Amino acid sequence: MGMSSGGGKGASPNINVTPLIDVLLVLLIIFMIIAPSKPSRFKAQVPAEPKPDEQTASKPNPLTLVVSINKGDLKVTLNNEDAGDVSNTELLTNKLQQIFKDRENNGVIREGTNEVEKTVFIKSPKTVSYGNVVKVIDGVKFAGAEPIGLQIDDLQE
Amino acid sequence: MAMQVGGAEEYNSEINVTPMVDVMLVLLIIFMIVTPLLQQGVSVDIPREMNSPEEDQEITKDTSVVIAIPDNNNFYIGKDPYPLEELAKKIEAKMKNMPPERRIVYIKSSVEVNYGTVVKAIDVIRKQDVDKIGLIADKKKGVPK
Repeated sequence: MGMSSGGGKGASPNINVTPLIDVLLVLLIIFMIIAPSKPSRFKAQVPAEPKPDEQTASKPNPLTLVVSINKGDLKVTLNNEDAGDVSNTELLTNKLQQIFKDRENNGVIREGTNEVEKTVFIKSPKTVSYGNVVKVIDGVKFAGAEPIGLQIDDLQE
Repeated sequence: MAMQVGGAEEYNSEINVTPMVDVMLVLLIIFMIVTPLLQQGVSVDIPREMNSPEEDQEITKDTSVVIAIPDNNNFYIGKDPYPLEELAKKIEAKMKNMPPERRIVYIKSSVEVNYGTVVKAIDVIRKQDVDKIGLIADKKKGVPK
């Protein structure tokens, strides 16, 4: 085991690979930690720009679900029903899940397709911070809503 | 200099820290090199600990358009600030040759920013015939699916 130094008889020809392995293992661990932080995003849709010369006479869809954020107290409403507030979206998620479940059982489908209608629109005043809006989007998405629409026009300040 | 082996008279009681220092220095250097490389564009305080965003590898691709909004007055694509009017041209140029399924613009906005500012950016985006928006958020660790 001991390497002989000084006496010039036969230097051991083995390369000591232990430090190399050390460094490689460390590298491996670093990449294992970095790799899982994959980028992720919420997909949302926005309505096309309204054309001034075109009368938008689309009939209102009775199945539309609108989630609104109240400006003052940051309460969330679902079709004007109270659904908790921004910091706790559990109630909103539960309500939406219940609605989607009912629709699945009753076969409520989107016009022209055979998918269950799960469109949800999100409407928020302009002064609410983006973080709060995303929290609501997270809750809505968690309930399984797809697609999520963002209202852009005629938002209150 | 020479260590005594075999003769049990005196043991060297000092821990040899050289390998540890070696590894630490390597770690340090790796982080110094990797950290700036990983960061694309400006740094933004995006929403964290979210339950349900979907992973999307397209975000980090060079061809995709990511608009960063670090505060209420600035819009960045990559590392360069653009005023709202020029944002439109830039998006148009970048989206020109995209197939329909990839016509999506990502928004990387700080949680502090007013929703109105984000809406302004979205308004510019949809004028370029893009109706899909990706809101970038950080996923909570350990949530299945």
